[in-house]
Amino acid sequence: MAIIEVEHVVKDYITVVKKPGIHAALKSLLFPEKKTVRAVDDISFTIEPGEIIGYIGPNGAGKSTMIKMLSGILHPTSGEIRVCGISPQQNRKAVVQNLGVVFGQRTQLYWDLQLRESFELLRRIYRVDAKTFRENMEMLQDILGLEDFIGRPVRQLSLGQRMRGDLAAAMLHSPSILFLDEPTIGLDAEAKHAIRNFIREINKARKVTVILTTHDLDDIEKLCSRVIVVNRGKIVEDGPIGAIVNKLTPMRLLEIELKEPASVRPHPAAEIVRHDGLHVSYRFDKNRISASDLIADLSKQLPIRDLSVKDPTIEDALREIYKEKELVSRGA
Amino acid sequence: MLSVLRHYGSVAACYLRLTFQQQLEYPLFLVSWMLMIPIQYFAGIYLLKVIIDHFRHLNGWTYPDLVFIFGLGLLSHGLMVVFFINSWMIGRMVIDGTFDRLLLRPMNVFFQLIASYFNFIGLIDLIPGIIIFLYACSLVGFEWTLPNILKLVLILAGAVLIRAALFVMIGSIAFWTKKNAAVHNFALVILERTTMYPLNLYPYLIQALFTFVIPIGFISFYPASAFLDRDRFVLPFDLAILTPVIGLVFYGLSQLIFNWGLRKYESAGT
Amino acid sequence: MNLAPYYYLTKMRILTNLAYRFDVLVSIGTNLVLMVTAVFLWEAAFSSVPEKNGMGVRDMVAYSIVSTLLGTVFVCGVQDTIYHKVREGQIATDFYKPVPLLAVYFADDLGAVAGDFMIKAIPLLISGAIFFGLPLPESPLGFLLFLPSCVFSYLILWFLSAIVGLLAFWVMELGNMGLVKDAIVRVLSGSFVPVWFFPETLQWISKFLPFQYTYQTPLGIYIGVIGTAQALREMGIQLIWAAALFLVLALFWRKTKKKTLIQGG
Repeated sequence: MAIIEVEHVVKDYITVVKKPGIHAALKSLLFPEKKTVRAVDDISFTIEPGEIIGYIGPNGAGKSTMIKMLSGILHPTSGEIRVCGISPQQNRKAVVQNLGVVFGQRTQLYWDLQLRESFELLRRIYRVDAKTFRENMEMLQDILGLEDFIGRPVRQLSLGQRMRGDLAAAMLHSPSILFLDEPTIGLDAEAKHAIRNFIREINKARKVTVILTTHDLDDIEKLCSRVIVVNRGKIVEDGPIGAIVNKLTPMRLLEIELKEPASVRPHPAAEIVRHDGLHVSYRFDKNRISASDLIADLSKQLPIRDLSVKDPTIEDALREIYKEKELVSRGA
Repeated sequence: MLSVLRHYGSVAACYLRLTFQQQLEYPLFLVSWMLMIPIQYFAGIYLLKVIIDHFRHLNGWTYPDLVFIFGLGLLSHGLMVVFFINSWMIGRMVIDGTFDRLLLRPMNVFFQLIASYFNFIGLIDLIPGIIIFLYACSLVGFEWTLPNILKLVLILAGAVLIRAALFVMIGSIAFWTKKNAAVHNFALVILERTTMYPLNLYPYLIQALFTFVIPIGFISFYPASAFLDRDRFVLPFDLAILTPVIGLVFYGLSQLIFNWGLRKYESAGT
Repeated sequence: MNLAPYYYLTKMRILTNLAYRFDVLVSIGTNLVLMVTAVFLWEAAFSSVPEKNGMGVRDMVAYSIVSTLLGTVFVCGVQDTIYHKVREGQIATDFYKPVPLLAVYFADDLGAVAGDFMIKAIPLLISGAIFFGLPLPESPLGFLLFLPSCVFSYLILWFLSAIVGLLAFWVMELGNMGLVKDAIVRVLSGSFVPVWFFPETLQWISKFLPFQYTYQTPLGIYIGVIGTAQALREMGIQLIWAAALFLVLALFWRKTKKKTLIQGG
C-alpha cells in the first residue's frame, strides 16, 4: 500500500497586487486588488514505502508548498492527500507523530543550549519511551557521529554538525517518513557525504521513506531512485532518474584531441559544437548513431590522439526542463 | 485523559527547565533591564506623589488610592509578562516560519506557544509590582483576611486572563495580515494608562469602551474601586467578582479567534 | 566640506520612514494615547486646585500636548543604532565608510526628525487641537524663543544619546543601557511632570543636571511660565550643556575608536 497518496491536488494563493507610488498605496489600503496564483496545479503521485524520492524543480515551482501540504502545515485548495492512510488536513497530530521534517535553512534546535537538551524536549513531545529513545540515540549517534558535539551548545556547532543534529532530532521518534528541504545546502564535501550516508543508512535499516527537495545534483544522483520534477505547479517528469535522463537528453558528447591540426568536416549524424585548435567536440544522438560507429567514421578522417565520450548528466536533463520555463516566461 | 495530562505536563516541565537555562545564559544582559524597570515604576509612584502633594487628589483618588491601583495593575501586568509573553511573538513567528515548526509537532499549537517560554525575566516586572502593592496595602490599611486574600487571588487570575486574551487576539491578527506590526507596544501603553491609573480620569465614552467592549476596566479599576469602597458606577453586585468570570469568557473568546486565525494560516500560508 | 552625502542620507531616512506606514500609524497611536491620558490627568488634578504656581489647566494641557510633540520629533536613533550594530558585530563596516561615523548617524537622525515632524507630529497636533483645542503659545516672543530652545534641547539629547550609545562598545554585555538613560530622562526632563513641582532639594539637584533643560525649558518658554529674561538665561545654560556634552562625546569617541581599531571591532 502506498505510504503517500496525492490525488489531483491544487493549491491557489490569493495575493494582493502592489503598485508603486503613494496614490496606489492608499488605494490598495482601501480597495485591495487581488490576484490568484496557482502554486500547485492538479498534481497526483503515489509513493511506496522505502523509496527515496527527489522532489525537484526550479525555484517557485511549488516544491515547498507541496511539502507543507504533505505535512499538514498547509491545506490544499482541492484534491486529496493521504499520508499513511490519514489526511494531514483532518488529523494533523496523527500524521506528524510519524513524520520527521528538516528544513535546511531553519533549525528546530535550541540555539543556546546543548544539543542533547533539544533531544530531551523532543523525546517528551513525541512520547518516545525510554527504551526506544536509548536505541534510537545509539543508532543515530553511531551513524552521525554525534558524541563529539552532543554536549555542545548548538550555536557553537559548524553547519554540518548542526545539520546532523537536526537529522537526529527528526528521526528521534522513529518516523517512517522523512521530509528533507535542502539538507546539504552550504555544507562542505565531507559533511554532504555524511548526510547522504545517513539517508542511505536509515533508508536501508529502517525502511524510512525519504522525500528530498534539493538543488544539489549530486544529492539526486547519489540518493534518489526516483525523481518527481515539477515546474510551474505541474509535474513534468516522474520516474527513475536513468529513464528521465535518457528520455530528455539522448545526446552524447564526443570529445576528440587531435595529434595535429586537420580540416574538420561535419558528419551527417553528428554536430560540431566546439573546435579550437586541437580540440573538437561532436554532439550526436545516440539513438541515431552509436558512439563506436561515430568514432570509427571519424578516425578515418581525423588524426585522433585521444578521445572520450561524455554521458549527459541529470544537470543536462534539468537544464532542458528549466530552459522550457525560461522560454515560456520570456514570451509571457 | 490522564495520559494526555501527563504528556502535556512532562512537556511543560521540560520547557520550563530549558527556558530557565536559556535565560540564565546571558545574565549580565539583564543588568540594564533590572535598572530601568524599577526606575520606571518607582518613579511613576513618585510622580504621583509629587502631583498629589500639590493637587490633593485626582477625581477623588488620594495618594494611597492611586498607589493601590498602580500596584494592583502592575501585579497583573507582571504575572502576564511572566506566563504569557510568547503571545507577543506570534507575528514574528508567522513571518520567519518558526510557527510552522509548532504545526509539525503532535501537540496543541497554543499550548506549545505559551508553555514554551516561561519568562523568568518577567520577575523584574513582577517584583516591583509586589513591593508597590504591599506598600499600597499598608497605606490604605488593606486587611489580610482570608476572604480578601481569596478575592485578590481570583481578581489577579481574572486580570491576567483578560490581559493575555487581549495580546492573543492582537497577535492573531498576524494570521490574516501576515505582517509583524508590533501592535503590542500600543496595547501595552493603553493598558498601562488604564490599569495603573484610575479609569475615571477619562471621559465617560472611554470608560464605557473599556467596560463594555474591551473589559480592561475589570483588570484593576473596578476591583480597586471595590476594595477601596469607591464604586463610581452604580451596579447591584460586587464588580470585583465579575473579573474572574469576565477573564474566563474573554480568554475563551481569544482562543476562538486564535484557532480561527490558525485555520486561516493553514489555508493561506505565507 | 561636502554635504551632499549627508543630504542623501537624510533623504533616504525620510523615504524609509514613509515606507513603513503601519509602524508609523502605531507610533502615532501610541503617542496619542500618552498625550491624551496626560491631559486628562492634569484636567483631573486642576479640577480640585484650579491654579498652581500661576498656571491654570490650559497651561498644563498645552504643556502636555507640546511635550508629546517634542517627544516624537526629538529622534535620537543613534543610541539604539550603535547598540544593535555593536551587538551584531556590524559596526566594523561602518568604520570604513569615507565619512565620519557620528556625522552619518546625525544626518540619519535629522532625516528622521524631519520625517517624523511631517508624518507624526503634525497629525498629533491636529488630533490634540481637535480634542482639546489648539495649544497656543503664551506670546509671539515666547514662540520665537521656543524654537531655538528646541534646537538646543535636541543637541543636548542627541549628544547624550550618542555618548550612551558609545557605551555599547564598552559594556555591551550589560544590555542596552540606553533604556536606563531614557527612563531617567523621562522623569527628570519634566516631560510629564515639570520639575518645578518637585520638592525643593530635587529641584536644586536638577539645576545642575542637563535633563530639565531638554523638555522643561522649551516647554516652559512656550507656555510662558518662563519669562523672557529667565528664558535667555536657561537657553544660555542649554548651550553650555550642549557644548560640554559635545566635548565629552568627542573625547569619548576618540577613545572608543582607538579601542575598537585595536580590538578589531
